[in-house]
Amino acid sequence: MSAILQAQGVGVRLGGVPIVNGADLSLRTGELTAMVGPNGAGKTTLIRALAGLLPFEGRIAINGRALAEISARERARRIAYLPQGNVFHWPLSVADVVALGRTPHADPFSGITADDRAAVVRALTITETETFATRPVTTLSGGERARVALARALATQAAVLLADEPTVSLDPRHQLVVMQLLRDAARAGGAVLAVVHDLALAARFADRVLVMDKGRIVAGAPPGEALTAERIAAVFGVEVIPVDVGGATVPVASRAI
Amino acid sequence: MLSSCRSDLRLVLALAALVLVLAVISLMSGPASITPRQALSGLFDGQGAEGIIVRDIRLPRTLLAILIGATFGLSGAALQGLLRNPLAEPALFGAPQAASVGASFMIAYGFAGATSFAVPLAGIAGALVSVGGLVAIAGRRASLTVTLLAGLAFASFAGAGTALILNLAPTPYAALEVAFWLLGSLEDRSVDHLLIAAPFLLASWILLALNAPAYRALTLGEDAAASLGVDLNRTRMMVVVGTALGVGAAVAVAGSIGFIGLVAPHLVRRWVGSDPARVCLPAALMGAALLTAADIAVRLIPANPNATAIELKLGVVTALIGVPFFLAMIFRERRLLEGSPQ
Repeated sequence: MSAILQAQGVGVRLGGVPIVNGADLSLRTGELTAMVGPNGAGKTTLIRALAGLLPFEGRIAINGRALAEISARERARRIAYLPQGNVFHWPLSVADVVALGRTPHADPFSGITADDRAAVVRALTITETETFATRPVTTLSGGERARVALARALATQAAVLLADEPTVSLDPRHQLVVMQLLRDAARAGGAVLAVVHDLALAARFADRVLVMDKGRIVAGAPPGEALTAERIAAVFGVEVIPVDVGGATVPVASRAI
Repeated sequence: MLSSCRSDLRLVLALAALVLVLAVISLMSGPASITPRQALSGLFDGQGAEGIIVRDIRLPRTLLAILIGATFGLSGAALQGLLRNPLAEPALFGAPQAASVGASFMIAYGFAGATSFAVPLAGIAGALVSVGGLVAIAGRRASLTVTLLAGLAFASFAGAGTALILNLAPTPYAALEVAFWLLGSLEDRSVDHLLIAAPFLLASWILLALNAPAYRALTLGEDAAASLGVDLNRTRMMVVVGTALGVGAAVAVAGSIGFIGLVAPHLVRRWVGSDPARVCLPAALMGAALLTAADIAVRLIPANPNATAIELKLGVVTALIGVPFFLAMIFRERRLLEGSPQ
């Protein structure tokens, strides 16, 4: 499978302080990549740089073209970014929020196209948010908001989806639903990178796992190779027990070291 | 989404009709009583005393009320969209206050006749310094607290500047002229005032309206908006310059007029909802209607029964009516403002 987004030697400084150092990674079409790492490891900073929102050293390329060479609008059509926190400042309806995902495709002279409408309906349907499509987004529960935010990002139908902690504040069922959605989005021809805190979810759903520690990517491999007990102990400071879930062996944290 | 466009169109047409009706009433209102028929025939053929009164005295005043009201309504909606806060308005940045400093300096020191470009240019420069300075100080990821505090500082500093100009005014007459001008009025404004202000006001409308899609994307926060292709720096710059051009020119011609920018977007949200892009045009029309109505009110309410020629000042009326109204609205809609379930 071909790499669609590639980062080589990416470093990011915030206020002069190096947050990410020498990060190499590639996201491939059809794959869900999970990024794990302790708090403060630089996951959010790296994902924001990949989304073109931060100045960085090194090279980030999409389809072989450097991020700096393409326009913001072109970049927005190719890379959808779902930030942490699911912020909604105005009580827009859920459908209007999801339609914002079509902004990079909008043409001021043609208005809403049939493609836009189909993309919005599809995003509402697969995230199970269509039942409250007309409600103001600010009246929803945390879990509902998280799904609406994901629906907005999916509605862009970009080749790359970068999701920063998409399962935070979701109940167990919707955590599984969202991880499955991300994997489906990858299988449908996207390259998906998701920051995930739950190692078990990462091991179970991701095709590859990137482990970040102190601003560096210390592992990038299929879950079984990336999430070894030794590495988890070294990076997260926890002991894990391997548990068999539906045919996959996933690490479950048992004790702080 | 289509149905909402249709209901928006109905609202826009209704507000435009309201502005037209108020404009005709405005042409009729004043010391000389004129019937609607006389007002319209005077407007179109310009014959007789009615023609002169309507065309030369009341028409420029009415058009200025509409243009300036629309400018305040639109810039309020734009700033609320940019800052994602329903309490934002030009005065939050100290823009009208700073514009007042520049314009009153020109007036007090007689650098400019009332109809030269010096007053609006000084007003625009003042507004530009305050809004630009605020955005520069508050920085890229300004919290609301920082923005409000910096705006408060600019407004206070500008207030002190105006006080200093009054304090050091060369003659008591100049001080009185500035003091009255600061209260806001459209009395005795001519076609010249209109021609001076209109280009700046129209330029500000274009700059503010072009960014409407960005205000909508900013609903999701700055990072998400940027990821959707919005150039945040350009948006900020255009809103700063647009607000400064509009507010600076408006204040230079009409003096200090408050609360239209705050109230107009709120009034239309009950019909168009909270989408910051869809609020813009109705808010501009509502601003035009509000200021035209206020300008009719100052002519109908005699300030001093013994001297009927003296009118109430426009800024006084908009504040006296605007503030209690705004407080009542906040009280009624506080749950909506807080974003909690209704």
